[in-house]
Amino acid sequence: MRVLLALVCGAWLTAVPSLAQVPANDGWVTDLAGMLSREQEQGLELLMESYKQGSTHEIALLTVPDLGGRTIERYALEVARDWGIGGEDTHNGALLVVAKAERKLRIEVGRGLEGDLPDAICGRIVRDVITPAFRSGDIPGGIRQGIVAMHSAIGGDYGPIERTARGRRHAGGLGSLFMLGFLIFVIVAGRRGRGGMGGGSVLPWLLMGSMMSRGRHSSWSGGGLGGFGGGGGFSGFGGGGGFSGGGASGGW
Amino acid sequence: MIHPPVRPASGGAAVIALAVLLILVVGIGGCGVARYNGLVAGQERIDGAFSEIDNQYKRRNDLIPQLVSTIKGSTSFEESVLTQVTEARASVGRLQLPADLPTDPAAQTEYLQAQQSLGGALGRLMMVAEAYPDLKSTSGFRDLQVQVEGTENRITVARRDYIDSIRDYNTSLRKFPGNVIAGMFGMETRPQLEAATATEREVPTIDFDDAQRK
Repeated sequence: MRVLLALVCGAWLTAVPSLAQVPANDGWVTDLAGMLSREQEQGLELLMESYKQGSTHEIALLTVPDLGGRTIERYALEVARDWGIGGEDTHNGALLVVAKAERKLRIEVGRGLEGDLPDAICGRIVRDVITPAFRSGDIPGGIRQGIVAMHSAIGGDYGPIERTARGRRHAGGLGSLFMLGFLIFVIVAGRRGRGGMGGGSVLPWLLMGSMMSRGRHSSWSGGGLGGFGGGGGFSGFGGGGGFSGGGASGGW
Repeated sequence: MIHPPVRPASGGAAVIALAVLLILVVGIGGCGVARYNGLVAGQERIDGAFSEIDNQYKRRNDLIPQLVSTIKGSTSFEESVLTQVTEARASVGRLQLPADLPTDPAAQTEYLQAQQSLGGALGRLMMVAEAYPDLKSTSGFRDLQVQVEGTENRITVARRDYIDSIRDYNTSLRKFPGNVIAGMFGMETRPQLEAATATEREVPTIDFDDAQRK
């Protein structure tokens, strides 16, 4: 019945009005303007992942070649909402947007962080931390200092990721091996138990499902099995996207 | 689920016809309920969006006394500009918000116009403040300036969200199944923000840094 209902109603559903061009997300750092080197980008992503692990808030960065005629306030808001930065209920996300051609930047703050990162503080970070570095030509440095300043304004903790960054590949490999072993064990155990209870055959699939979904972004792609040692174990934003225009803008 | 007695003689055809009818009725009925709920949710969204606008205006209102005292304290400022802001704020304060504001276009227009004139006075104040280097260099004022900018941006965002919520609601109310259901339950389209007040003002970019470089 539900299928039928969906079919009948589906014909009447109106198309969702599409937002003006929002760039595809590329992890914690989406460097479309090419302002960062690969190492700088990875370093930042590690830092941001560490914030997320340590205090659950999500700070992301977007650099764009130009704003395509929109104001940076509007652009930043649309991206932040569309990407769903911040937890679904907590909306504790923030986005730093840097527009190369317009020489503008903005810190966009999610509703959940507005108390910790009020406009005045964002203004100080833009004015006293990021802009001076940008003016002296050190764009990557300004970005990094800005991100660090945002985090310390929030007063969040650092997660374990940055500390283990060097030994990460090794640890990741061991972790995946252990998980693989455990998986095999569970499956074999499940097979054996199959004759008796029906539940035994469901458990391993459940476990495997949860591992696969976890492995897709964190441990497996990071080291041992994944092959590509991509940035910072990004696992997607929390899906919050509750932004109402808080933050501060500036130019350099 | 009422099944009228079916004589075995008329057989399969009647049962199938009945079943198809039943499915259609339930399908359309279910769809109607979903539509109705959607419209109610749309109304809720509009009301929520409006109270967000109101919230942001209040936020701006709370900011003004601090701003005025900071400006007064640091320089001999043009008194007339300050008075304008204070008066506009007072006239906004005098406005009583009727509960059904979003459905009452006249009251809504009056409210929004009062807020808009306060916004204009505030904008002028910030512009005049540009001419006072002593004031501009104090970090207290710069913080306040960012806050004013931020609040204006939030107001812009809240207004845009409100306009969007009304547009979506009115569209689904006018389209086919929505208009039938709206007629049945006496739902009416909501008045859109008037052109005069809906002109999307971009944030007044009071950009010190540009001014400094020149």
